[in-house]
Amino acid sequence: MVETELETPEQVVSRVAVAEAVDLTKVYRRGDEEVRAVDGISFQIEEGEFVAVVGPSGAGKSTLLQLLGGMDTPTSGSLRLGGQELGGMGDGQLTRLRRTFVGFVFQHFGLVPTLTVAENVALPCLFSRRDGRTRVDALIERVGLSARRSHRPSQLSGGEMQRVAIARALVNEPRLLLADEPTGNLDSRTSDRILDLLRELNREGLTVVVVTHNESLASSADRRITLRDGRIATE
Amino acid sequence: MTGTFQLAISNLKRRRLRTLVTASGVAIAVAALYCIVSFQRGYQAGLKGELDRLGAHLLVVPKGCPYDAASIALHGASWPCYLKGAYLDMVRKTPNVAVGAPVLMNAVYDSRTGAQHVYCGVEPDIVRLKRTWKIEGSFPASENGLLVGAEAAKTNGWSIGQKVALPGIADKTGTVTGIIGPTQGADDLFVYLRLADAQRIFQRPGQLTHILVRLDDPEKVDGVARELRGCDAGLEMNVVPLAHLFHTIEDLVRSTRVLLGSVAVVALLAAGAGVSNTILMAVAERTREIGVMRSIGASRGDVCRLVWAETVALCVAGAAVGVVVAAAGSRGVEAWLRARLPFAPSGALVQPEAGVALVCLAGAILLGLAAGTLPAWRAARLSPVEAIRAGSAAGGNG
Repeated sequence: MVETELETPEQVVSRVAVAEAVDLTKVYRRGDEEVRAVDGISFQIEEGEFVAVVGPSGAGKSTLLQLLGGMDTPTSGSLRLGGQELGGMGDGQLTRLRRTFVGFVFQHFGLVPTLTVAENVALPCLFSRRDGRTRVDALIERVGLSARRSHRPSQLSGGEMQRVAIARALVNEPRLLLADEPTGNLDSRTSDRILDLLRELNREGLTVVVVTHNESLASSADRRITLRDGRIATE
Repeated sequence: MTGTFQLAISNLKRRRLRTLVTASGVAIAVAALYCIVSFQRGYQAGLKGELDRLGAHLLVVPKGCPYDAASIALHGASWPCYLKGAYLDMVRKTPNVAVGAPVLMNAVYDSRTGAQHVYCGVEPDIVRLKRTWKIEGSFPASENGLLVGAEAAKTNGWSIGQKVALPGIADKTGTVTGIIGPTQGADDLFVYLRLADAQRIFQRPGQLTHILVRLDDPEKVDGVARELRGCDAGLEMNVVPLAHLFHTIEDLVRSTRVLLGSVAVVALLAAGAGVSNTILMAVAERTREIGVMRSIGASRGDVCRLVWAETVALCVAGAAVGVVVAAAGSRGVEAWLRARLPFAPSGALVQPEAGVALVCLAGAILLGLAAGTLPAWRAARLSPVEAIRAGSAAGGNG
């Protein structure tokens, strides 16, 4: 018999991919037309990676990001997030996953206009029923908006709004940060600042997946996945 | 930290005018309902109070409309016709009659002050009937003695032992021998004098306007009424069991109240539909925001709770305003009702109470929940992806 050395629990955890897709497919209907937004793709995203998903419009980037965020379920194939299979998950399980495992950043920021910066950042805590006051304060400071914590979104610049959205995405301490065109509505200087912030978070160990058309953002990623017609063109 | 209600209220503030108009609809409906319920309680309490103050079980009046007669006997006015004094003996001799108190009532107009004064000629046995009276001084024992209601004494500035000119009656004087403590009824305004004096002053010798009858046992009221109607004078007089009369009046008023109540309920349903429509519009406007909330961890239940919080907050705010406005305007409502009711008891017709206000607020919560069901369901059934896609004109990026 050959004796094999057992792995430590830490080694096992580090081996577990944050996201793992096998033959992942998402089909939806647009009228009579069947759209294969994601068409049988397989990939793996390791803990601590910074991945850029690029490709032309209609390539399936946002659909892929929505699947990774547990906002939608695959039509076929397998998608595991933190070791949990998404296929067959009910709405409640997907909600729990979105609360605990992923943080979302949108191109349009998605802030509630009537709430202040601090209230927007704390919003996920309302749904996860946790008192995140200390974490909210720390995150607002982290994204450099302490002086603006009582301001409403209409009083902020685009870059500031996106920083609020990033802080909100981090408040529940997710393992995976998903950003859909986070610099799409920003000028180049502000985009660079957001990119710096995302890179910094990644250096601290957060896994980041960004859908982008921004070449500078894509080139600074550890890995680039190019999608075309729902398939991986290059990786 | 933001709570669900705080978030709901901040959402309602986005469209202040729309929120205000919708809440006003609820306020108007709740105010109407609050007034009707308060009126029901006030009217019932008022009728019961009148009955208690009158102290009689039966009212014997001349032939004519018993409702008019009851109203005159209770509130005081001049009578169009009279009973013969001889009927009193027949009434008193009827089995189970404990007290038969004759009254000659007359109202006179004082052209000098423009006021109306009501005089009641009575005998001492009226005191056995009016058990709630607290007399300071005594019932008139001799000619031209006066027993005066509290308000009449106050208005005229009379005190016991004072010799006074009888208002509205030229060259007649009397001496105040007693003052009746406040009864909160029409008695407060009346001037009582001995029956013989009243018959002489008003030139109605041997005549009465009505007889107040108290029984040994109120349960025997129907038997006594039958007996009185069958006596020799039965064809000349109306025998009115007061409890029945009040029940009849109450039934008449109840039908009006049911009609008004139905209108208020319809108004409330319309207001609920308005709330539902407003929040449906708000949900449609915030589709993408709801999608974002779902993507950051809001469950379907959280979305439902948020929408319900908005409809409940809207309804409770409207109801609170409605209750405050209705309570503040209860005097105006009372005056309006009093001018239109065929018979209105003394005292507050509309009785605003904390209990009624709480019932209205509880009803508003139920209305809010019912009105929020459709928008909550529509908001909660949105999947995060559909909501973000539907709410974004640009759609996805890839």
